Amino acid sequence: MLLNYNQLGRLKYVLLGITGVICLFLLLPVIFIILLSFGSSQWMIFPPPGWTLRWYVELFADPRWFEAAFTSFKLGLMVTVLSVILGFFASYALIRGRFAGRGFLRALFMTPMVMPVVVVAVALYAMFLRVGLSGTWLGFVIAHTILAFPFAVIAISNSLERFDKAIEDAAILCGASHLEAIWRITLPSIRLGLLSAALFSFLASWDEVVVAIFMASPTLQTLPVRIWGALRQDLTPVIAAASSLLVILTLVLMTIAASLQKVLNR
Amino acid sequence: MTSSFLSIRNLKKSYGEVVAVDDVSLEIPRGEFLTFLGPSGSGKSTTLYAVAGFDEITSGDILLEDRSILGVPPNRRNIGMVFQRYTLFPHLSVAENVAFPLRVRGQDRTTVKKRVDEMLSLVRLSNFADRMPAQLSGGQQQRVALARALAYDPPVLLMDEPLSALDKKLRDEIQIEIRRIHQETGVTILYVTHDQEEALRLSDRIAVFNHGRIEQIGTGEDLYTKPATRFVAEFIGDSNFLDVASVADQSNGRACATLPDGTVLDGLSTHHVTRHSGRFELMVRPQWLAVAKEGSDGIRITVKDVTYLGDSSSALLETGWGQAIWLKGPAATLRGLTAGQTIMVGWDFAKSELFEI
Ligand SMILES: Nc1ncnc2c1ncn2[C@@H]1O[C@H](COP(=O)(O)OP(=O)(O)O)[C@@H](O)[C@H]1O
Ligand SMILES: [Mg+2]
Repeated sequence: MLLNYNQLGRLKYVLLGITGVICLFLLLPVIFIILLSFGSSQWMIFPPPGWTLRWYVELFADPRWFEAAFTSFKLGLMVTVLSVILGFFASYALIRGRFAGRGFLRALFMTPMVMPVVVVAVALYAMFLRVGLSGTWLGFVIAHTILAFPFAVIAISNSLERFDKAIEDAAILCGASHLEAIWRITLPSIRLGLLSAALFSFLASWDEVVVAIFMASPTLQTLPVRIWGALRQDLTPVIAAASSLLVILTLVLMTIAASLQKVLNR
Repeated sequence: MTSSFLSIRNLKKSYGEVVAVDDVSLEIPRGEFLTFLGPSGSGKSTTLYAVAGFDEITSGDILLEDRSILGVPPNRRNIGMVFQRYTLFPHLSVAENVAFPLRVRGQDRTTVKKRVDEMLSLVRLSNFADRMPAQLSGGQQQRVALARALAYDPPVLLMDEPLSALDKKLRDEIQIEIRRIHQETGVTILYVTHDQEEALRLSDRIAVFNHGRIEQIGTGEDLYTKPATRFVAEFIGDSNFLDVASVADQSNGRACATLPDGTVLDGLSTHHVTRHSGRFELMVRPQWLAVAKEGSDGIRITVKDVTYLGDSSSALLETGWGQAIWLKGPAATLRGLTAGQTIMVGWDFAKSELFEI
């Protein structure tokens, strides 16, 4: 290696310092929000003059918050199922298929990930208005599935690539039909990849706000959209409480996904 | 046509421009252990896969007990196969792996259990029934794969270099197991390898593949003692190929050759001279060569190097026209040789085959 950490001498501490500052910079807003959600000040004064659970009580007492969270959850689950199923078919074609333009197709599948989200959002909004999907569950599910799909393709392609086609061939020679071989052998063998695809797909929908703002209607709001809306009306610590819960679920799922990736890469 | 158990007739398979298998025909009797031997890329696996039914073949026919199996999809061919790579189902235990083909066939629990036990004891892995594939060594995995492939009593078992990933010692052990299992089950086996020793050790007959064609098919002894082509002579056992200046008197399968240094050798075998290119090489096995008395029939050579190999020794020699050849013999008979010495070596010329190049 060009730079050996252990031979850096004094420079080592500079590096450590910079790393610490960056970590703090990334973490501070989250810590700040979580602290504020327990702070007693109505005006979110920092440092909080006292501590309270009042905002959480208010949060759970307001059915609109619960509704938004439930909507987010339901939407996330639907997107997850769709994205994993489509992601598997797409990955199977990409990895096992022998046809021209596979590289192009793969790149195409990745575009929702690299395209600016706001462009995707405006485009989908314009189109959904035309076909009458805007503000509907179906529109919402389609929009978020488009965003989640690349994550599913990456996770499933990776695990499918690692899974030797000869194993599937062996199952077929054993007497299983191609579908049976995929169902009974391939899918169970890549289950960690599927699970990781599911987690990333769920997260892609769960904490997404830009496309969601365009897709939402007054009666159909996800948690991030509700937070966004509430922020513009009045600044209350209830928002901090809702945000904290959002962050925590996200963190938990991310941790699971990350450790899955670790197992997969072994 | 003679009716044999398995016939491959004029099989051809191309991948676009590449002809992987070119007009291969084989008649295989029931219970035979037939090995495809050849260098990598010579079409062995492609031929095997054609029997398994994974790829459409370009032309030709494959018959099992006189019925074409080309229209039968691979999962209905009832053929067993052990692959080069490890193909145990990673999420199933050893016993579940062996049970898989039986479950797919809808057999009931007790039948499956009984058969799995039988198969695991056949490959001597009864104690490993509950292990997962990842907990097995490579050799054990291939034995489980063998048990799985034999569980449904297939008429034909295909094996594509099943031992190539294993080390030498383990390979020797499993070769013995495979021979025993072949004898116990009587299953017809098509076996692919690029290792001539493995082929000689296991097979009833060997088909030597080169560039998508079969160069020769026969017992190991046939191939060694009567190689049909220079390629076979080179692939089975060690060979020297002496340059030949001219050949005279080609009749009765015997000829007389003049070597570049003017030596005339009489009574050589010319079974395979057909193309009349006029250029020849003379095959001499290193073991045939022996030091001869001055003035007897043979060639004059210079000793370059002598290597002691335990039971035997080998010597690197140089002919009068500068060609390097090998001599191999019992250590005792080579003891007197030293580098730089010029001596006569002779052999039984009747065994020596002339090949046209
Ligand atoms: N799927 C394929 N696509 C293109 N060429 C192939 C394919 N499979 C095999 N070949 C070619 O066919 C020839 C024979 O291959 P193979 O039967 O695998 O050889 P062997 O098993 O004797 O090493 C090789 O030249 C190989 O490159
Ligand atoms: Mg091969």
